[in-house]
Amino acid sequence: MSDRRKNWLLPTLAASILLAGTLAGCSGGGSEPKSEAAQPAEPKTENVYKDKYDPEVTITTVWGVDPTLQFKNGETIENNVATKWAKEKFGINIKSLWSITDTNGAFATKLRLAMSSGQEMPDIVTLGTENQQLAQDLIDSGMFAEVGTWFDQYASDNWKSAMSLDSNVWNQYSRDGKRMGIPVLDFAYNHDYVLWIRQDWLDKLGMGAPKTMDELEKVMDAFKNQNPSGLAPDKVTPLSIGFKTSMNTWMGDPSWIFGAYGTLPQQWNVAEDGSLEYGSVNASMKQGLSKLNEWMNKGYIPKEAALWDENKTAEPAVAGTAGIIPGPYWMSGWPLLDTVKNAPEAVWKPVQIPTGPDGTAMRHGTQYTNGVTLIHKDMEHPEAFFTYQNYLFDNFAVSKEGGEFANGLFEGYDFELDANGEMVPNDEIQGGYVNVVRYLLVRDGARIPDEQMKALLKLAKGGKPESRLEKDVAVNYGKDTPAAAEVLLSQEEISKKDMFTGPVTATMKSKWDYLTKIENQTLNEIIYGKQPVESFDQFVETWKAGGGEQITKEVNDWYQSVK
Amino acid sequence: MYHKTMHYRIFNVFNTCLLVSLAILCIIPLLHVLAISFSSKAAADASLVGLWPVDFSLEAYKKTINNPAFLHSIWVSIARTVLGTALTLAVTFLAAYPLSKDNRVFRSRSIYSWLFVFSMVFNGGLVPFYIVIQKLGLINSFWVLVLPSTVNTFLVILMLNFFRGIPKELEEAALIDGAGHFKTLFKIFLPISLPSIATIALFSMVFHWNSWFDGLLYINNAKDFPLATFLQTVIIQRDMSSMSMSPKEMEMLSQTTVNAAQIFIGAAPILLVYPFLQRFFVKGMTLGSVKE
Amino acid sequence: MKRIKKTWPFHVMLLPALICLFLFSYLPMGGIIMAFQDYKPWEGVGGSAWVGLDNFRYLFERQDSMQVIWNTLVIAVMKIVFNLLIPFVFAILLNEIRKTALQRSIQTMVYLPHFLSWVILGGILIEMLAVDGFVNRILAAVGLDPVFFLGDNNWFRFTVIVSDVWKEFGYNTIVFLAALAGVSPTLYEAAEMDGANRLKQTLHITIPSMIPITIVVGTLALGNILNAGFDQIFNLYNPLVYEKGDIIDTFVYRTAILNGEMGFGTAIGLFKSVISMALILVSYRLAYKWAGYRIF
Repeated sequence: MSDRRKNWLLPTLAASILLAGTLAGCSGGGSEPKSEAAQPAEPKTENVYKDKYDPEVTITTVWGVDPTLQFKNGETIENNVATKWAKEKFGINIKSLWSITDTNGAFATKLRLAMSSGQEMPDIVTLGTENQQLAQDLIDSGMFAEVGTWFDQYASDNWKSAMSLDSNVWNQYSRDGKRMGIPVLDFAYNHDYVLWIRQDWLDKLGMGAPKTMDELEKVMDAFKNQNPSGLAPDKVTPLSIGFKTSMNTWMGDPSWIFGAYGTLPQQWNVAEDGSLEYGSVNASMKQGLSKLNEWMNKGYIPKEAALWDENKTAEPAVAGTAGIIPGPYWMSGWPLLDTVKNAPEAVWKPVQIPTGPDGTAMRHGTQYTNGVTLIHKDMEHPEAFFTYQNYLFDNFAVSKEGGEFANGLFEGYDFELDANGEMVPNDEIQGGYVNVVRYLLVRDGARIPDEQMKALLKLAKGGKPESRLEKDVAVNYGKDTPAAAEVLLSQEEISKKDMFTGPVTATMKSKWDYLTKIENQTLNEIIYGKQPVESFDQFVETWKAGGGEQITKEVNDWYQSVK
Repeated sequence: MYHKTMHYRIFNVFNTCLLVSLAILCIIPLLHVLAISFSSKAAADASLVGLWPVDFSLEAYKKTINNPAFLHSIWVSIARTVLGTALTLAVTFLAAYPLSKDNRVFRSRSIYSWLFVFSMVFNGGLVPFYIVIQKLGLINSFWVLVLPSTVNTFLVILMLNFFRGIPKELEEAALIDGAGHFKTLFKIFLPISLPSIATIALFSMVFHWNSWFDGLLYINNAKDFPLATFLQTVIIQRDMSSMSMSPKEMEMLSQTTVNAAQIFIGAAPILLVYPFLQRFFVKGMTLGSVKE
Repeated sequence: MKRIKKTWPFHVMLLPALICLFLFSYLPMGGIIMAFQDYKPWEGVGGSAWVGLDNFRYLFERQDSMQVIWNTLVIAVMKIVFNLLIPFVFAILLNEIRKTALQRSIQTMVYLPHFLSWVILGGILIEMLAVDGFVNRILAAVGLDPVFFLGDNNWFRFTVIVSDVWKEFGYNTIVFLAALAGVSPTLYEAAEMDGANRLKQTLHITIPSMIPITIVVGTLALGNILNAGFDQIFNLYNPLVYEKGDIIDTFVYRTAILNGEMGFGTAIGLFKSVISMALILVSYRLAYKWAGYRIF
């Protein structure tokens, strides 16, 4: 007995000794970045901003390389046409500390590990909204500088005016009124959705596009039970939506069904009294839920909707067995383009979001920002970054005819001209199309939120594509895209953005996951008829008591502070 | 002879039917993936493919073979699998021998074996591991794919239990003949352990062939990724709701047929290894009986 | 002194393995103290604030903590049991197939599913188990009501366990086949002489020869007592089955991994390790006490 005890005691002992040894090693490694960060930033002298730097300046950065990004001519993310361009054009030497193929969140993991092991942190790092929490952590780490004053000092007018289209964009990256990160601007309405409907089915049935929920139900019933393509009722998915990840997403999204009754689930909306409320606990959810339950029973929506993610909802649409799918304006290019290969008669058309009984309609809106750029506080020449970005905002974001970027970023990469000087489609570029904007320091280069819609509206009205964006949209997006954009903007006022864009609040950190879990569970169970609609009230009680009330308060405190 | 009896014949027919149907059940998904890889993109995206290709097409395979990164990654994978397995076999074989001894013969044995087990159950997590790898200078080195996984406690314990099954008389005879432990291990144990070595080699190979996370994290240059990492970067799972998207990019993201082709090409080499290793199981059996 | 002299080759043989263990296992184990910290990457292990047992408390304080832990246990235990039992039986049955070519073909085919990832298999399963999918059409053909395998709390765990066993049993059989290959044919020949039929031979020779390896594999599998299989659940679960399907690892993924809460993640890891270690210890002792067998 004693012998055996000794046997397992000894290794445990040995292990703890080893453990103690390693602790010393680790803490040594961990403290390095701290001491580094503790050094005060050097005072910057005025008028350092130049259009070209001589001698060259160096900007260090790290890359999360998009897995779909292609490289040609033996280039890498470290050394390519864009880095050469920066060197020649601005005398800026872009130095990569490391890069990682960003799949399954690898970039965030690597960046956290690099920090933990005390590796050099980059001068400039751009993080997308998918790495929101990491961005907030980096800001809190104190390693990155307040960028607001630099922005005011160095940014060009074009950039500033683009940034001022929505004053909320700075909110999530501000601390006590200090702007700690530069928001990356994105095109407006990119994730707003319209309904794509099988126009050929409507025509054969002699029906018009559904304007209200009642009409929508009639259309869905006809699609299912008198299918114009002769499909058996159980083979048709009249409305292809899915809830696996969320009720508020980008394709196959069901949130507008709740919107027709006055709320958008899973985002923070402005309530009547001007405060923020969480959409999923609004009482009008019940009407949307009973509608969905009814549709589930009638077979209007997929029986497996709770298991379906976004891409899955596209499958019946492409197969030619779905009648309606909610999705972004650009869907006619992908995935709906392929429908005709499986159902040759199929014609998809964009239509407006139908209204509820009192004429209400809502859809979730798109933020004008999709990420943030942080600048290290020890960066020697932060102004160089502005030189680089300003140029892109002045020449790329609003490309003028005949300008450097009139057709695209770099010839032979993201565009190519034929003998007549006409743009060839992306598929026909020699050696393959490369989405070369991803080589730039800020991942989409420079985007002015309303430019894309302006371009599309112009095309929809029959305008000739002239600017880079217009040409790009005309050549590379599906042919119904301008029309879809028009439909989208015809309902501009129903687009409601998530109004809470601040950092995660204290209570959210500990309670949000559980609250989301019971929320998803309740909503799905009601739709599937496993619980009566009345149980929604019970859920709201639980939600509030389980931390929801406290979170609502914290969210409103934040809202008041930025309003 | 028992297998001539009526009962046994009935059992045998029933048994064969059962196992064959199980086997068929197991390859259905693989056939499905295979069918997708030979189908047209439109049919695959619409989920119209069953067990037979729709609109037969070799496009996916052409795209895969033409990707230089893919071909290179196969070489990296082969290198790590061969080296890693060889190393694991050597270290496991050596370590299992003393651990298979009786406590009376090798008194520190228990301490050592608990050291192994403890290391299997407890781990410090990713952060300290990364720091160690970094301090050892293994970041971006091919060896990071081989060295850290050399010792697998499960395999060591498996091996030591196989060793215990070897008749004591064999070992004792060798020791009496004046052979040392090393000689006994290599001359006596090695030849009759082929089935167990084959098993351990298989486990180790499969592990190395399928590992992708280490490549992603410790190899900075995508050109030097092993195959599994390369495939992982192709079969993408990510939150697309927060990305700026265009139809062009979405199209590149959803290459269902290419993914299917790559899964198949990626798994094929390791699948082919197994039938080859199977012969060791039988060989070991006959060898063992001859020696006795 | 004499003993050391006699055993020095043993220590030498263990040396390479021990060096690897030290470098890649014991050195990083220092990081376990992160479990007691509010770990911030930029502050490192040395600088992060100590929070005592807060990270552990958080695991147990949620309203659904017990449910999640229970789900994990049920799924994991069932998987351990069936992933041991089915391969065990399968190996014996496969051993009875006399035609080598057929035997090897079956063996190769059943081990194939192991090589498909759950991302891929998840998609295939959702398709096959759909209410109007392949499996339900078979059920309908024999007059049964359709089953919502992945969306029904009564069926979800069953589906998860069966599909996992289906995926892994062929691969898990390999160990047993290796054990069977070690059985000397002379034993069977002797039994044959004594007039033992095949059933008796199986009961008295085949099964006993597999028992040690079964105990070993079973004991080591206890290390997975709180691992219900993240990849699988993550790809199959949905809001309808949170009640029976949410496990520790999916919960940790949502709360810790996605948010970079490394301290909490480490704490859960430590919690799981301690439970596993305790179970391995107990089963090690039981095996020694009852079977007189030292597993390792």
